[in-house]
Parts: sequence; structure tokens; C-alpha cells
Amino acid sequence: MKLVKLMHKWLSVLVALQLLIWLGSGLFFNLMDHNKARGNEYRIKAEQVTQVEPSRLFELNSLLAQQQRVNSIKLVSLLSKPYYLLNHEQALYPHFYNEHSLFNAYTGEQQVIDKAMAKALASSTYKGKAAVKSATKASPPIADFPKEQNTVWQVNFADELNTSVYIDASSGRVVGHSNTHKRFADFFFMLHFMDYGTVGSFNNWQIIFFALLTLVFCLTGAFWVIELLGRGRYKR
Amino acid sequence: MSWHRISRKYHKWLMLFVGLQFVIWSISGAYMVIFDIDYIHGDSLVVEQQKSLQKEQVQYSIAELYRDYPYAENIELVNLLGQAVYRFSSDNEQSKTKYLLSADDGKLLSPITERYAVQIAKSLYENPKVDISRVSLISDEPPFELSARHLPVWRVDFDYFASPSFYISVQTGQLVTKRHTYWRLFDWMFSFHVMDYVEEDASNKLLLVVSSLALIASLFGTALIYFRVFKSNNTRSRKQKVRKSV
Repeated sequence: MKLVKLMHKWLSVLVALQLLIWLGSGLFFNLMDHNKARGNEYRIKAEQVTQVEPSRLFELNSLLAQQQRVNSIKLVSLLSKPYYLLNHEQALYPHFYNEHSLFNAYTGEQQVIDKAMAKALASSTYKGKAAVKSATKASPPIADFPKEQNTVWQVNFADELNTSVYIDASSGRVVGHSNTHKRFADFFFMLHFMDYGTVGSFNNWQIIFFALLTLVFCLTGAFWVIELLGRGRYKR
Repeated sequence: MSWHRISRKYHKWLMLFVGLQFVIWSISGAYMVIFDIDYIHGDSLVVEQQKSLQKEQVQYSIAELYRDYPYAENIELVNLLGQAVYRFSSDNEQSKTKYLLSADDGKLLSPITERYAVQIAKSLYENPKVDISRVSLISDEPPFELSARHLPVWRVDFDYFASPSFYISVQTGQLVTKRHTYWRLFDWMFSFHVMDYVEEDASNKLLLVVSSLALIASLFGTALIYFRVFKSNNTRSRKQKVRKSV
């Protein structure tokens, strides 16, 4: 029992600060506004109802004849126009590394998502009143979405929340919205997960190390409580 | 009462009530950080083959598809088990249904048969020689691990370490989700970590009360570090100094 108490005392010195950070950030997650933390204050679903004229559609086998390595072709609607979205490199999830190209579904012409189109795509998911401030192409890692592995367009809006909209540069997929609220919440996630490199993961050696120390620390504490109970020290 | 004694008293009493949750937090937390999340999500169970489409595979055009299914939406052409197929959804009379169609002759392949589902599951599994232990059709009352929006599905259980299961959509033949023992356990650990015993999210009242008390108890504990470790060291070294000077 003496050893247990000694361990509890010295482990407490090692884990105290981190334990307070865990409890504090945990309490923050409990109290935070979950909708705000998602960064979707100004997000709306882009209008997807495009009436396709089937007779005008470019033949898929003609497209396949021109293009190499096509895993799938999806008929999508971007900015009220139909496009074929071709996948050339397929990953398990959209945020993993994928390769796409876009073609006008009527003419079969390739469409590259340039700055103007990226701005328009971002605006179609944005319900705020502010204008686009800037748009830049960014390669991963992307600070607001650390798990994203694809090149994106970052479109910034001139609103009070500093909203940024991220568009996958090869597919036009909306990666997500981010703003001051989300960045604030993300800071607490970074602390809670000890993700100091902000790679968007909680499987890092420093957290494993502290988690194991904390586990031993809590067990020694629990033994102590049981011992105090046994000795009748919880009276009054 | 001195601050030292107050801290000791409240640390002792508060931990009587929240100490158990500390043990639960540290066990579940350790579990979640030690197991790699990509392993937990079963990503290593799935082989992502690049299956190219060839133009000869597409004899049934997208215009024909629209003629046969005028309300088709979200049309996608993919390679499924070496065959080009269309996947799409359509709002027929009451419900939104998804379809799987051969791109060779326009033949309807959905709802898919058990045999077809097993073939798809096997083709996606990392070890092609794996044995199937059980196949079941789930049309309603999904298990805890499956979202109701995926129904109906074929559940294909593999006879392998950690009993992996693939859920294959009856309507589209897609792998909608997967599970294995360690992921199932992870789900439980997460529930324990955020104390969703009654309400099912991280903003529940029970967690608020317990973590507030836990924070207070820890602050008293931190005070004890000051009294027991730092202050006692100081007094001891001062005493030693006094002794030496004598």
C-alpha cells in the first residue's frame, strides 16, 4: 500500500497538468455549441436539381474511348450544369488521395476547376451576405482540415467569422466550411488529443505515453479510496 | 482548517464519488489512443483495387437508362466484379429506391442475391481465400453498429481473427460499412468515455456534473502536489541547511 501511495504521489506530478487540460477541454466539449463547432454557420446545400436532357448527353463509351484508367463515371450537377466526374485513382474515402477529372456532359469537353469556378462553387454553398475575399489553391496538409489528402481551393469570404470554404480541386466536392468558431473548437481538440503537430489524429506517442501513466495513476488512486473505505476513513 | 487539510479532505471525498469515472476515462481513453484509428475503422480489411472500365463494356447507354427510368438521379457507372454497372436512385411512387443495372444489356441486378453479395464481399476483402462464416439479410431493426439508412443489407461475416463483418447494400451492391471486434469495442469505449449511459451524445448533463466535480477534485489534488511535494521538499532542504550550518 505504501508503494501505491508513493506511486500516486509521484505520478501526480507527471500527469497533473495534462489531466487538468483533459478535464478542462472535456468540459469545453460538453458545453460548446456543437453546431457552431462544425463551422457550418453559413453553409447551405448547393442547388442540385438540374434537369438533364438525356438526348443531349455525351455517350459514355465515347468518353471511355478517349480516357485512360477510368474507375467510375458519375453524372453530377455543378452550378446547374451536368458534368461527368471521372475517377482515375480510387481510394476508400473521398478525403483520401483520389484522382478525378470533369467533363461537360453534353459536349464531352474537359472542364478544369479554375479560380472563377472554385469561387462560384464555394458561393453556391454559402448563405452569408459577404463577398469572396480571396481564393487560393492549397496542397495538403490543410490546417482547417488536417485529414484531407487532396489538393483544394480555399475560398475565403469577407465575413465576421472569417469563413473559408474548401473545394476539392479535381472533383468540385465540398470538403467543408471552416470559421472562427470551428477553429476555436479545433484548438481544444488539438489539446485534448495532444495533437501538437495538428495531423488530425489522437494516435500519437505522447498521448499513448500519458494515457498509460494516467491509467496507472487512476488505478493507484482507486486502490487508495478502497483502502480508506476499508479502514473506515469515510465517516462523518 | 489549513488549505492543506481542506484539499486533503475534499480530494478524498470527491474522489469517492467520481474516482470510478476516472478509472473508466483512463481505460477507455488509453484504448482509443493505443489502437490506430484506421485499423479500428477496418480500413486494412479492404483492398481497393483499381478496376478500370472499358468502352466495350457499355452497350446500354445513359440515354436508354433515362428512357427506362425517367426519374433517375445520381447516376454512376462503375466496374463491379468485372462488369460495368449503373447505380442510381429514383423516386418511384412512395419511396426513394436505389437500383443496380447491367451496363451491358440494361438488365436489373438489384435487389442483389445472396450469392452476388458474397462474391462482392470476397472481392473487397484483403484475403481472397477467407472463409465466410455466416450471411444474413437485414431488412429492419438494424444492429447497434448499422445505421438504418443503409437498409436493406446483406451482412457477410468472415471466419477470421476479430470476426470481421461487411455490410453490402441489397440495392446497390456497395460496401456500406464494416465492423470487427475491436471497432465494436471502440464504440463501447467511446460511450463510456462520454458517459452517454442515458443521453446519447457528449453534451449530456451527467457528463457535465461528473466532469465538473472531477475538475474540482483534481484542483484539490493539484493543491496537494504543492503541499506534499514542493513545500515539504522546501522545508526539508531548509532543515538540512540548518543542520549543516550547525
